[in-house]
Amino acid sequence: MTDFTRRGLLQTGGLLGAAAFANLPLTAAAQAGEITVTALGGIWEEAVKKAFVEPFERKTGAKANVLLGSPPQWLSQVEANPKNPPIDVIIVTPDLAINAAKMDLVDTFTVEKVPNLADIPAEFTNALSGKGTVFDYGVAGITYNKKTVKDPPKSFKDFVDRTAAGEWTASLPGISYAVTPIMLMWAMARALGGSVDNIDPFFDAMKKMRKNVIFWGGPNDFFNHLSSGEADIGIYFDGRTWAHVDAGADWIDFINPSEGGSINALAVQKPKNAKDLAWEYINVMLSPESQLKFAEMLSYPVTNKKVQYPPHLAKRFTPWQEAHFPPYEEIAKVRAQWVDRWNREVGG
Amino acid sequence: MSFFRRLDLGRAILTAFVVAFFVFMTLPIGIVVVASFTDASFVAFPISGWSLRWFRRIFEYQPYLDSIAVSLQIAFGATALSCLIGIPAAIALARSPSAWASAVMTYLLSPLSMPMIVIGFAALFFLSRVGVGVSFTALLIAHTTVCLPYIVRTVAATYRGTARSYEEAAALLGANPLQVFWHVILPLIRPGIVAGSLFSFLVSFDNLPISYFFGQPGTLTLPVVMLSYMEHQFDPSIAALSTLQLLLAIVGLVIVDRLYGIDKMTMGD
Repeated sequence: MTDFTRRGLLQTGGLLGAAAFANLPLTAAAQAGEITVTALGGIWEEAVKKAFVEPFERKTGAKANVLLGSPPQWLSQVEANPKNPPIDVIIVTPDLAINAAKMDLVDTFTVEKVPNLADIPAEFTNALSGKGTVFDYGVAGITYNKKTVKDPPKSFKDFVDRTAAGEWTASLPGISYAVTPIMLMWAMARALGGSVDNIDPFFDAMKKMRKNVIFWGGPNDFFNHLSSGEADIGIYFDGRTWAHVDAGADWIDFINPSEGGSINALAVQKPKNAKDLAWEYINVMLSPESQLKFAEMLSYPVTNKKVQYPPHLAKRFTPWQEAHFPPYEEIAKVRAQWVDRWNREVGG
Repeated sequence: MSFFRRLDLGRAILTAFVVAFFVFMTLPIGIVVVASFTDASFVAFPISGWSLRWFRRIFEYQPYLDSIAVSLQIAFGATALSCLIGIPAAIALARSPSAWASAVMTYLLSPLSMPMIVIGFAALFFLSRVGVGVSFTALLIAHTTVCLPYIVRTVAATYRGTARSYEEAAALLGANPLQVFWHVILPLIRPGIVAGSLFSFLVSFDNLPISYFFGQPGTLTLPVVMLSYMEHQFDPSIAALSTLQLLLAIVGLVIVDRLYGIDKMTMGD
């Protein structure tokens, strides 16, 4: 009775296989007047297209193809093809940006090449040795369920003491999450009197809190912990908190601890030997108009000093001066020791 | 009497175990399916209301559609290439008593014992060094590397299970080697080819660790787009996409079962 036949199935498979091979000529590198730029997925990609790609294409008449993925993937591709990089503009976390600069994989930013760089605070470019700049950032602070935490903690110290006292269950980033040594270990140690060279205050705090703490492995886990009631409060990002609020979860809120949370930034870099047209795209990325559009779509603050946020965003955004830019290079040197100590003393 | 009571008790425990096992296996999948029909903007269970909005989202988000097309091209392409290379190799090696044949067979199966992320990373640097670069071709080559063992393994097992006398009889009746292959060997090993192709297709279609390193704007596969989406957005469209994938896998298996019989393929006869 079936309409399917073996021969038909094999023929269909053969035709589709042939179609795959027919795609082989598409392997050529991007044509002149085209560049490949990068974006994280979901709303991120939509924001990159609306805020950066569309104005760039309008202004130059060139085409920017958007590559989805993640910074380690893009840097691997650049590292494997340094003379002919398949990507012209990469967005990266500062730790990877510093590595790329050290490996001499990326070009130096100057105001001559990127005029809008003049409006970016020098701290964000100097932190990357001039080989890129930060274009948006978030702050890792305290996110909580307003229904179960009526009187939220205002500082890391208060958070630690009241978690230890069992006032709530806290959800913290686990050691498998790449940013944990920065957003939790360094930030909390610093707030409690420690530093990169003295991480003891963080581990002392964890010892006190451990029985009232659960861990999240990825940002979505944290939200699941709060929505399911497994946790009431935790360390999380401001921008993601606001995105959840805008999606209907109006029962959560965010506080930047009084000691200041850690800045979690994204930088833009241009691989060496990438097309010069990439400078034009980066200049558009750093323009006040594009930056504002990006901030409005993603609920994360941006770095151009000329950007004027609408009141509802200005109320949400933490000025970068009220948070702390992590010493990525120093943390990279002790990161393995911290992870080892976490595994022995904290577990989970 | 006590023997029967023991028997009943044993059967009851076994039944309970089997039921618990199936619940354990299917419940997480069931929750994903149910969550895909939520009307909320985030994944939560139990769901607040029913809606098809996240299935609509799949068709509105262009990278999902583009990457599904790329994943299908790569999966069919890698499977076809694996058949071209793997079927002759399996036939040549399956019945050979030579130690070399055994060594070559082990070599062809070796990608199965390597972590895929290592293969992906190594393939990226190797193919870039030899000039293939980051491209559709590179992705196809890398996928073929990991799909090949599935074809070789199943075809070799099927071919070993067939009697040599069929080929000898055909040859005695005047068939040349090509006719023996086309009219005798190929029909006999067809269940192995289909089973291997099915595994190969699924391995390629679901592959993330290799595809991750070869993404370009026109060659992003579905798992890479899904990972990228999940990391930065928390809506239930991933659950809806998973439900569709599950449906496609079930439909595919039903079709193959009706054409060949899955039992026959897995037994290799």
